[in-house]
Amino acid sequence: MNATFIVIGVLILIVLIGVSQYNSLVRLNVNVNEGFSQIEVQLQRRADLIPNLVESVKGYAAHEKTTLDAVISARAQATSAQGVQEVAAADGSLTNALRGLLAVAEAYPDLKASANFLSLQEELSSTENKVGFARQYYNDNVRKLNASIVAIPGKFFAGMAKVSERDFYVIDDPAKRDVPNVKFD
Amino acid sequence: MGSLTAFVFYAVALWLGYTSVGLIPIVIVLSLIGVWGSYYSSDKIVLAMTGAKLIDHDSAPQLFNLVQEITIAAGLPMPKVAIVEDSAPNAFATGRDPEHAVIAFTSGILAVMDRDQLQGVAAHELAHVANRDTLVSAVAATTAGAIALLSDFVLRITMFGGNRRDNNGGNPVALIAALIAAILAPVAALLLKAAISRKREALADATAVSYTRNPTGLRRALETLALDSTVVKQRSNAVAHMWIESPLDNSATSKLFATHPTLASRIATLRALET
Repeated sequence: MNATFIVIGVLILIVLIGVSQYNSLVRLNVNVNEGFSQIEVQLQRRADLIPNLVESVKGYAAHEKTTLDAVISARAQATSAQGVQEVAAADGSLTNALRGLLAVAEAYPDLKASANFLSLQEELSSTENKVGFARQYYNDNVRKLNASIVAIPGKFFAGMAKVSERDFYVIDDPAKRDVPNVKFD
Repeated sequence: MGSLTAFVFYAVALWLGYTSVGLIPIVIVLSLIGVWGSYYSSDKIVLAMTGAKLIDHDSAPQLFNLVQEITIAAGLPMPKVAIVEDSAPNAFATGRDPEHAVIAFTSGILAVMDRDQLQGVAAHELAHVANRDTLVSAVAATTAGAIALLSDFVLRITMFGGNRRDNNGGNPVALIAALIAAILAPVAALLLKAAISRKREALADATAVSYTRNPTGLRRALETLALDSTVVKQRSNAVAHMWIESPLDNSATSKLFATHPTLASRIATLRALET
């Protein structure tokens, strides 16, 4: 009699643990998807801002052709990218091209003073921050999801919840990778 | 605010001569209704009380953008953003849940702070939203209010209304201990409430850094607040806990009752995070 109660209790406990594990895995997976779609939304917003920016820079500095072309081709690449790794790579090169363009703009006082350019610059740098924060949110959630899939007891329920480990969003940022040259004479 | 209404009701009832035990549940229920009401519509009440004006992306693009940046970092819905016309630099957040949150900045804080600093402040305020601090402070206020009412009730019974027949048999030491406890309980409740508020402020600073990953911005913002000696005109106790910098005087005597840790200690904590 007592033994049956114990067995029933243990079974109920296992079911409860299973339900809570399943729910938390599914929730983390949703967060990861949400994070990635937020990244895509912000990248799209940035891509939409670029034509305006290019036009307003052209008005003052049409001869900075190489910089402008670099931005346009990086944008084209970014809008056609698919999947985490490809999107991340295109995102990195567009970020760099834009950094170059904004640096060029520094040399044109008329351009820098124009209200149109100033508001574009605010939108663009804010979008840049949003992309960064969306990346941070996505990667945090990927880390949590991957950690709970690998660990026990999440390991046993991952298959049932149809979730698997996800890729981190890693961008190639040459500005960060370049190690400063130190010389000892 | 709710417990205040209940207190007034209680005081009036006592003044009119109703000292029955039956009053206590009525007062507590009224107080609960009041606190729940002010918690549930905190966004609307506070906007009306402080005279904050709601803004959108077109009327204040930079402020709107930097709040939106933090909501993305935190995975929160976009709150209502408002500006309070007040030259003292300060900011607050309120609302019953993240879907009904309001965060407000004074025009003073927008004038003195740069983008990084404002981002730190916005992150601190959104951290309050994410940590459900409106709920926490409503519970703390209700508890403190209920303890004050109960101890008042105990005092009245032991001093005036007590059963005369028991007086000879009663233990005087126990009576005195009960009196002391009844007198100290409301003070302890207030201390507890203030301590909870201070802990939640410290937590909000930490949560803010987890959003921005940039302790420097918030640290510099707090330093600017420390240098500034003006305080917001809203000096009422009712909304004091909501501001990022306490609008009440932070003198040594009120340290235990302070709703915020000192700016110096908050700055030191953030500085320790910068490496």
